[in-house]
Amino acid sequence: MPFFLKEKKSLSVLTALIFFQLILISIQVPLGYEESYFKKTVFSIFSPVQHGILSFFRSIGIIWKNYFYLQNVQSQNQKMKEEIFFLRQENNLIRNALKNLKGEKEIEESLLKIHKNILAAQVIGFDASNFYKSVIINKGSLDGIKKNMVVLDKNANLVGRIIDPVTLKESRVQLITDNESGVGVFSVKKKVMGILSGDGKGYCFLKYIHVTTDDISEGEEVISSGKDGLFPSGIKVGKIVTITNSTSLFKQVKVEPYFDIRHLDQVAVIRRDPKEIF
Amino acid sequence: MKDFIKVALGIIIAFFLYTILNKISPSLIQLFNVLSLVVIYFAIEKNEIFGACLGGFCGLIQDSLSLGVFGVAGLAKTVTGFTAGYISKKVDVLPLLRSFILIFMLIGLEFILWAILYSFIFSGTINTGRGLIFFQPLSTAFVGSFIFFLLRKIKRNKS
Repeated sequence: MPFFLKEKKSLSVLTALIFFQLILISIQVPLGYEESYFKKTVFSIFSPVQHGILSFFRSIGIIWKNYFYLQNVQSQNQKMKEEIFFLRQENNLIRNALKNLKGEKEIEESLLKIHKNILAAQVIGFDASNFYKSVIINKGSLDGIKKNMVVLDKNANLVGRIIDPVTLKESRVQLITDNESGVGVFSVKKKVMGILSGDGKGYCFLKYIHVTTDDISEGEEVISSGKDGLFPSGIKVGKIVTITNSTSLFKQVKVEPYFDIRHLDQVAVIRRDPKEIF
Repeated sequence: MKDFIKVALGIIIAFFLYTILNKISPSLIQLFNVLSLVVIYFAIEKNEIFGACLGGFCGLIQDSLSLGVFGVAGLAKTVTGFTAGYISKKVDVLPLLRSFILIFMLIGLEFILWAILYSFIFSGTINTGRGLIFFQPLSTAFVGSFIFFLLRKIKRNKS
């Protein structure tokens, strides 16, 4: 084949491929975070592969722990016993405090319901374009995962919520640090309300706090308000790190989330609103 | 058929490395672009059309695993694959230093393209991971040129 014809063929293929990708982009843009069927299909093919690779390594890790790591078991056991002791104390204190509000039988039922509605999941992947946007977990529709379920870290701090796609054994979590996320929150001391949104770089901003508001201060804790209809109230979110007055109507309130992306290994998915349980 | 198996194996290895790096620390994904290394390697081995198709495919895998617009990484990797195949046809890129420069330039080009598209669509700045992402072309070129060198040595010894 003459050289110029070969070049022409290559350029035609490149143009066709670029055109195809541009079509994909233009289909996706109006959908926003609602994902196209094509993207869902690719996700449902490759997320199980990711899941499989990590399960393989996890099982190797378990074998290592079970057979070669036994020398630390005794000291770990002792530590865990101590931890259980303090947790029991804490549990009893909470039960006693709750007794003033509800009957013992009712409390037992509520605690049992809480246990049933918490699902532990492992993080199997971080967002490929920006790891502060989303993570993929190893639980899906077969485990009862549904869109908009709340996700917490191991210390019960808010991490985000389940979004599309939810496949049989994997699902995606939108983090509160994503710039498209929104959580209704208030400051603990003076109950100043606002909407928390991520900056896509590991921090969040408390929006719509008027410049004349003096009731918030740096270091103050921020918790979910429950007013957004998505996140239940009372979940610890983060603390205010800086407050700056800008030329606009609203203050710039920077919030550092409590969850740490580098240690986000195991998460808890809340299958029902805690308000419904209690 | 043999080529298909080779490419499939290349993608699986890249995806495997991608998953492991991602699990160790999400920052490592910003430092090493393993999927693009596979694209560049096969584009040099085959031709620019093959590179563009493989680039598009690998880019779509990356896009499906991220919360954003489907096709952004696909488009950037398509151009990378095509350019890699095209340059390797004109210039001998097999020596270690030349392959280092080629990978460095291509990863840089892909990063610029991706960043422009990303900023244009999301109307915001990208997460640079405290500047870590700017080292991506250098670190990927360093590792990539060494891997390419080893692969060629193994191939030569076999033949």
